[in-house]
Amino acid sequence: MSASIGLVFFVGAIGLSLIGIAGMLLSNHLFRMVLALAIAEAGANLLLILAGYRWDAVAPILVDGQPAQAMVDPVPQAMVLTAIVIGVGVQALALSLVIRVRQRYGTLDMRVARQCMQDELDEAAGVTPGRSQERPAGGRPLPTPIAEAGGRHD
Amino acid sequence: MTDVTLALVLPLLGAFLLPLLAHGVLRRLAVLFGPGLLALSALLLFGAWSTYESPYAIALGGFAPPLGITFYIDRLALLFALAVPLVTLLLWPGGSDEASVRRQSLTLLLAASLTGLAMSGDLFNLYVFYELAAVASYGLAAGSGSGAAFVAAFRYLLLSALGSVIALFGIALIYFKTGTLNLAQLATLSEQLANPQGLAAFAMLVIGFGVKAELFPVNGWVPEVYGAASRRVAALLAGLASKLVVLAIVRILLLVFPGEEARQLLLVLGILGVVSGELAAWQARDIARMLAWSSIGQLGVVFVAFSLPGTIGLVAGVTVALHHLVVKSALFLIAERWGGAIDGLRGAAASSWLGAALFVLFALSLLGLPPLPGFWSKFLVLSGLAEGGTTLQLLALAAILIGTVIEGAYLLRVITRLYAAPDSQAPPPPQRRSSLLASGLLASVLIGAALFINPLWLGLKDLAASGVDTSGYVETVLGSAGGQR
Repeated sequence: MSASIGLVFFVGAIGLSLIGIAGMLLSNHLFRMVLALAIAEAGANLLLILAGYRWDAVAPILVDGQPAQAMVDPVPQAMVLTAIVIGVGVQALALSLVIRVRQRYGTLDMRVARQCMQDELDEAAGVTPGRSQERPAGGRPLPTPIAEAGGRHD
Repeated sequence: MTDVTLALVLPLLGAFLLPLLAHGVLRRLAVLFGPGLLALSALLLFGAWSTYESPYAIALGGFAPPLGITFYIDRLALLFALAVPLVTLLLWPGGSDEASVRRQSLTLLLAASLTGLAMSGDLFNLYVFYELAAVASYGLAAGSGSGAAFVAAFRYLLLSALGSVIALFGIALIYFKTGTLNLAQLATLSEQLANPQGLAAFAMLVIGFGVKAELFPVNGWVPEVYGAASRRVAALLAGLASKLVVLAIVRILLLVFPGEEARQLLLVLGILGVVSGELAAWQARDIARMLAWSSIGQLGVVFVAFSLPGTIGLVAGVTVALHHLVVKSALFLIAERWGGAIDGLRGAAASSWLGAALFVLFALSLLGLPPLPGFWSKFLVLSGLAEGGTTLQLLALAAILIGTVIEGAYLLRVITRLYAAPDSQAPPPPQRRSSLLASGLLASVLIGAALFINPLWLGLKDLAASGVDTSGYVETVLGSAGGQR
């Protein structure tokens, strides 16, 4: 029984991470990329918890007057706590960067944002854009930036 | 002996105090706060270096290893830890307005976490310090406030966070196999990791941590971030941060994965880094991205060097890493005001002869012109590779030689522009005096190293001999650390 539950959790942990990583690689929407990152981190944290988990054991809390019994390994749990905190901080930072990108370029599409960044870098560097292999004549089939009112603040 | 941990704690504390202190009357004083703390931690580390006798371990908070976190201090750790405050001081982003204070606070945070990476003897603690350094560098990368900087920082963050997830998987895998994350205890259990699962865990750690070390498949952020951020930040990340992460990877390699396959993995990734980095640098047409790609190539050489077994590998790796630390920081500093295309650099030598001369000196050392230290560092790597003589190592040898030729092509292209007669465009402005002073100091380090190459070589050999001494590490940490506070 417990073995099959364990297997479900393992498959779940690896599956979550794969979903997250695939989402980060395949998605072009900045916000979805942050969400995918959160999912991938959840998978990694679940795996770390499973590394020290025992199905036949109790929570690792010593209570006076009770005999010691088999306990779950508390070390991975402490580590996951740290990893969750780090993850939340990084996600918050990522979201604040997304907001900034939206304010500057008025887009949440990674391809458009990246193109804008390359153009800005080339311009700042005084290099005329258009190395032919990167920029075929006629332009790339890029979606147009979202043109909403209040999109640009600068 | 706990003095050494203060070298980490002071900048960490300062990073959070500085924004609170820098208000009103204190704002002018706060300018000195960060440099003062860094100088203090450099002094502490220098004291530890001069009174150093043998490696020792510090049990943080008095919790004995393997459950408690240990700091392991040997010459290798001290040398790299000492480089952190010194180089950070040279690249210090001065100023007393609010944006500068924020930047200084992040720089202090970066310095603290990099010091931690040099000393920590616990895998999860390494991960935490790595994340701390990563968060500080996201902030620094976005610091210039342009749209390009925000996009570059966001892409860097995503890649680095993906790397962290992969590294976390590696850590979980190691915990599954061994039930510990203390590097010393892992070293005693390394047979349990001498199998495909162990190798997979090592690959995950290398790819995960390799994001900041500009390792081959995960270095797409490098030209974007270095192109968009200020040159001082680029110098800090390319010169300093990457080296400390490399040191952490090397510690893991030496202690936990002594097998041949792990070294081969580093060798292959290093070769790919050399080839791709140098080719891309050759194609680059502005100096920031040229230096960025070139640093990827140089870090490829560092990884190739560390993949050599035994003392010689560690000596070669440390030499290449330290040389690149000095040279690349200085090159970015000199190019601080050389925004724009390489073609726009015509006549830069006329407006600042010293800046151009220093650039030439560092470029020649990077190429490996004897008797500059760059020659000796490359010589050590190449002779080590030739001695090893396996097919892969000979391939690496060829890659490094070809890489040097390409390096020569693009560096000389810049140098000829510097000394060309200025055309209709105005020549770039001369360097700031502080940048010239800092790169002049780095140049004197370089020339000093060239003059005293023999004692330096003996010292490094000593350092490496204690660095590869795995059983000594285990004994020091697990045997005695419980008693020392």
